[in-house]
Parts: sequence; structure tokens; C-alpha cells
Amino acid sequence: MTIAAILIIGGLIFLSGSALIAFYWAAGDGQFRDLKRGAEVIFDEDEPIGRITDRFPAKRKA
Amino acid sequence: MTSLAKSLNPKNDPNAGTERFERAEIDASARIPVLVFFGSAIFWLLIGSLLALIAAFKMNIPGLLDSEAWLTFGRVRPAHLNTVIYGWSSAAGIGVGLWLMARLCRVPMMHTSLLIVAGVFWNLGVLVGTLGILAGDSRSIEWLEFPGYATPILFIAYAFIGIWGVIMFRYRKPGHVYVSQWYLLAAFLWFPWLYGTVNMLLIWQPIQGSAQGAVNWWYAHNVLGLWFTPIGLASAYYMIPKVIGRPVHSYYLSILGFWSLALFYSWNGMHHLIGGPFPAWMISASVVASIMMFIPVITVAINHHMTMRGNFEALKWSPTLRFTVFGAMTYTLVSFQGSLMAIPSLNTLTHFTHYTIGHSHLGLYGFFTMMMFGAMYYIVPRLVGWEWPSASLIRWHFWLAAIGITLMVAALTIGGIIQGFALYDPAVSFTNSTLFASPFLWVRGVSGILLTVAHVVFAVNFVMMLARAGGPRDEPTLFAPHAPDKEVAAV
Repeated sequence: MTIAAILIIGGLIFLSGSALIAFYWAAGDGQFRDLKRGAEVIFDEDEPIGRITDRFPAKRKA
Repeated sequence: MTSLAKSLNPKNDPNAGTERFERAEIDASARIPVLVFFGSAIFWLLIGSLLALIAAFKMNIPGLLDSEAWLTFGRVRPAHLNTVIYGWSSAAGIGVGLWLMARLCRVPMMHTSLLIVAGVFWNLGVLVGTLGILAGDSRSIEWLEFPGYATPILFIAYAFIGIWGVIMFRYRKPGHVYVSQWYLLAAFLWFPWLYGTVNMLLIWQPIQGSAQGAVNWWYAHNVLGLWFTPIGLASAYYMIPKVIGRPVHSYYLSILGFWSLALFYSWNGMHHLIGGPFPAWMISASVVASIMMFIPVITVAINHHMTMRGNFEALKWSPTLRFTVFGAMTYTLVSFQGSLMAIPSLNTLTHFTHYTIGHSHLGLYGFFTMMMFGAMYYIVPRLVGWEWPSASLIRWHFWLAAIGITLMVAALTIGGIIQGFALYDPAVSFTNSTLFASPFLWVRGVSGILLTVAHVVFAVNFVMMLARAGGPRDEPTLFAPHAPDKEVAAV
């Protein structure tokens, strides 16, 4: 078996394994438990839900 | 600032600091590395556009600029592909990814010097690779034309980014891992795997025979689906809710979409080889997986549409949203088209025609590039603390890009179908089949001019912004201290 084959098969096992571990970690950590709150993590007190955060730049000050 | 050795030490407690960071502080920490990637990406976008124009017009004027070897079609065309893939799209995607990672980890960027070194190496790799192609060292493997001496430089650059990603994720503040972060982590993990494997199997210890084709298309299709697509979707899943101030319609669907993309996409590449000398099961499995892609695509389409519903008026006043929604709609369109193109009976018609070129531009430009423009319109003002100098330049950029890409895809699609029927008809000679497509290639050339002008307009606005042109505004749009006048429609 060549080095390339070992690296490729090793990489395949490592990467598939890490995806599986990530999935188990996420499930165990409660990442899938409260999906409604999950969707809201990108908002906070400064930029709450309902705050629009992007506009075309306004006219320049005269 | 902790030292790199300390960050990498597994004994070091990632949750030691409990302080909360201001959003502005996080954005400021990202300034230099993200601007390095964005600035160089825009530079390569301009170079890639020029190379594209030369290649496009050569289709109709074969003698155009043929006095110099480095300007011949065989070099200019791969140089265009590789500059826009590695120089523009990847660098822009990395920039957006870095910024999103910092925001979603809720910590200021650590070890920014790693990223600056990565940015320098990445651009060096693209420069060496592009000059190599133009000098005649192209590797004649589509999507991998960069000569062998350029790829290790890209690898070194990427290694720094990968290490940085792991450190950032480890030192994130506790809490939910948002769907965009899943997409980004996956993309950061998948890219070195794809790029490493294909380099080992095709360059370092090349496998023999037709299996090379299988590896080539496994890579070329996955770089779209497992590198550009997740970055583009990560951006959309952040930008759309954030701009209109409304959470994603169904977070459940977004998670389902992510894991089904991870499951199905990597099988898709073989549909490029329908009719080729490959075991039938390989092609069949790929066709089935291509059809299964309807699942992740429909989840994304439903989610983005339902999040936007009642807020489509926002497209008038948000540049970010305008580009991002254009990209999101195109994602649905191009993915449906891709799944249908994998059906063997339709593939017979479209394969080896301009239709495929139209499809790839719809994906990489209509979807990914527009998504990156949208993200940049949001991110750059927050990095430099300055408004975009000109609203009309943004409008010009959008309409030139939107009309340009629509025209290009329409021309290549119709021209490709006509070409496909002509190729299929034994009464039509091959020469005539190419002549049928000729008027459509003129239209494609014109659309390329529109896109190039759009890119120049964008670059001008970007440079003016870095130079702090434009003066202060009476209403700082991006940093509005009070609630906006337009209310978001009720959920």
C-alpha cells in the first residue's frame, strides 16, 4: 500500500469519524433541544429582533 | 492576547474568561485580516474578468491577440477559471467566513497574525499559479490547472486558516452553535480534505486511466458543493435574518438542510461522466444522489422565502439583502437545474455544450459571487467604521451584475440547447453545430463587459471607502442609534 493510499483512507476515516463525533457531541450538548432559541442567538439587546441593520447610505451632509 | 502555544495547549481552559465582548470590539479585531482577504479578492476578480473577456471574444474572433503564446485560449481560459476560483471566490469566502466565525463565537479574533500570513501566502500561491498557467505550465486537469509548484503555497496558507478555525471554535463563548457556524466548520474541514486528496491522487502519485476522470470530477463538483455552497449558505442564514431583524422561519429545516447536504453532496460529481467509461453503479449512485439534493435545496428555499415573506420591500433599501436574496433565489434555481441535468436523457442533450458553461456561471456567479457581494456590503462598513461612499455606485453594481449574469446565462442556455440538438443530428456537420451557437456567444461577450464594468464600479466604491471618501452622513445608516422608521412585518 502506498503512502498516498494510507493518507487517503486515513483521512477518510478521520473526517467521517469527526463528522459522527460532531453530530453526537451536538445531540449530547443539547444543540438540537431548543431550536426556537437557537434561531435567536444572533440577536441581543443592542440589535434585538425587529431592528433593521442595513440601509443604502443616505445623502451626504450639505 | 494569549500566545499561540498557549492557545494550542489542550490543558489551557478555553472557558477561563467569562467577560462579554461588544459587537464593535469583535468587528474591530477582524479588520486587518478580513480586509486583506477582501482587498485581494477584488483585485483577482478584476484580473479574472479581463481574462474572461479575452477568452470569450476569442470564441468569435479566433485571431484575437494570438501573437503571444501566453494570450492564447488554452492559457487564458484556465487562467480565468483559476483566478476567479482561488483568487476571488475562495478568498472572498474565507474573508466572510473569518468574520462570521468571530461574530458567532462571540469573541474577538485571536492570533490575527496567523490569518495575515495566510492571506499573504494564499495570494502568493494564486499569483505563482496564474503566472505558471500563462507561462505554459498548466496541468490540463480542469479546476486544478495551477502548476505543481503553486499548490504547496496554497496548502500552507490554508493550514494557518484551519488551525485558526479550531482555536476560535475552542475559545468561543458558551451557548448555541448557530447554523451558519455548522456550515462554516464543515467547509473549513472539507476543503483541505478535497484539495489534499485530489492532489495526492492526480499529482503526487497519479492513479491510472479513467479513474483520473472520476477523481477530477469528484473534486471539481465538491469544491462547489462542499466549499462554496456552505460558505454562501452560512452567509445567507446570517445576513437575511440579521438585516430584517427576524429569526429564520424554521430553524429545524435549516439543521435538516445542513445534515442532508453533508450526506448527499459528495456523491454528485460522477454525473459529469454520464456515458463515460465507468462502472454503471457509480454513475447511477451519483444520479440518485443528485436528485436527493432536492431535499437540502428545498429546505433552504422554503426557509429563506418564508423568512423574507412580508419583507420583500426591504430589497429596496438594503444593499446587502438585495444581493443576498438574488443569490439565495439563484441557489434554488441552479440547484434544481443541476439535479435535472444529472438525469441521463437530459444530460445527453446538454453535455459538451455551452449549456453547462451557463449552469456553472449561474452557480458560481449568480449564487456565490452575489452572496459574497451582499456579505461584503454588510461587513466592510463595520470593519472600517465608515459608510459606503456612494449609494448610486451600489445600485449600478447591482443592476450591471444582475442584468449581466441573467443575459449570460440566458444566452449560453439557449445557445447550448441549439448546439446540443445540432450535435445530435447526423445531418448537421460539427462545424455547423458550432456556428449555430455563434450569435449567442456574442451576447455572452457583451454580458461579460457588463459584469466587468460592475466589478470596476464595486472596486472603485471599495477603494474610496478605504480612503474614507464621502464625508460624514446626516443619518449613519449602518449605525442608526434609534429604531428604524420602517417596522418589520409581524411574524
